[in-house]
Amino acid sequence: MSTYVYGITAASHPALPQGMGGVGDPPREIRVLEAGELAAVVSDAPEGLRPKRKDLLAHQSVLSEVGAAGCVLPMRFGSVAPDDDTVTAVLGERAEHYKERLRELDGKVEYNIKGSHVEEAVLHRVMAENPEIRSLAEANRASGGGSYDDKIRLGELVAAAVQAREGEDAGEVVRALSPLAAAVSEGPQSTGWLVNASFLVARDEAQRFLAAVEQARKDLSHLELRVNGPLPPYSFVEPGPAEPAGTTAGADAGAE
Amino acid sequence: MTVVPAQTSGGGGGSSGLYDVLELVLDRGLVIDAFVRVSLVGIEILKIDVRVVVASVDTYLRFAEACNRLDLEAGPRKSPGLPEIVGEVTESGARGKSKGALSGAAQTISDAFKQGRDEHAEESESRPRARRTTSARRKEEQE
Repeated sequence: MSTYVYGITAASHPALPQGMGGVGDPPREIRVLEAGELAAVVSDAPEGLRPKRKDLLAHQSVLSEVGAAGCVLPMRFGSVAPDDDTVTAVLGERAEHYKERLRELDGKVEYNIKGSHVEEAVLHRVMAENPEIRSLAEANRASGGGSYDDKIRLGELVAAAVQAREGEDAGEVVRALSPLAAAVSEGPQSTGWLVNASFLVARDEAQRFLAAVEQARKDLSHLELRVNGPLPPYSFVEPGPAEPAGTTAGADAGAE
Repeated sequence: MTVVPAQTSGGGGGSSGLYDVLELVLDRGLVIDAFVRVSLVGIEILKIDVRVVVASVDTYLRFAEACNRLDLEAGPRKSPGLPEIVGEVTESGARGKSKGALSGAAQTISDAFKQGRDEHAEESESRPRARRTTSARRKEEQE
């Protein structure tokens, strides 16, 4: 029976979720495998596990549960070990590394911010900032919408201006929130958001961080910002090639 | 999955469900090479690189028409109905209206999960229509 792994935590974690339902249908029962000072939160792996909504949710809710009570290193969805012994062997072999990550991330949670433009608002802004676009739009309107070529010309200019704003606005959001985070990890820009960034925030700084998000919403009213968190630190489990801490200007919150 | 309007995700900052954390669960988190990962075939769609504004004739036309409709007199600062706009988009479920050209990627992800929400149905209907119109116009031009 292969073993599905949700996350790695300290064996001293105060509230490990024994008996909760995990992935699979019916949900496989959550178990804890201990190895020295570390513990892995696991369940049996269902045959033919696929990334279905229900299973993704189960993965996330198990980790939320563990993360609510203490630090956990979340596994990426779908990590399956051949058996329990392989899991404890891995914990043993890399114990120092995982303990270091758990110390580093202790008391910190991830907030993910996604932003997109409110279309009418950003078009207003682009027109206000760009006289050429404004006069083209006015000319088109005066002539009952303009010809096909007129529309393409206007639309092309507007699209370029909106794209330029996407980059600027993404920078603004990250600059506004970085000072309240211990680390920043910018997510892939490929999923339809102009900004998609994760912030590692100390639990006791969370209220200040959320207040900064509210402020950013007011300051950048042409953006729609979505906050997700607190989450287990998915984006910060590995120091990774692009070391997050300190790479973004103003990210050094520890200095205060 | 819920599409949460900007207002409600404010303040509490609570999790608005799987939809927004999807890529974190799938693309982030610890990977251990001694473990295998289940096949993610079927959600490779996540990897498709979609720019937020798609540079296409459809987008240009849509933007041009949106600009023609905009009330220039109101100006960006006076933009009277920002909350109203968001509310309207959310209530009518016409999210495609604001997201359509900005990107369909997020919607595509949820399609992969068979979230047959009405708005997606609306959108998938409206898009091919827009494309047909465009190609029809291109034909006219060539003739």
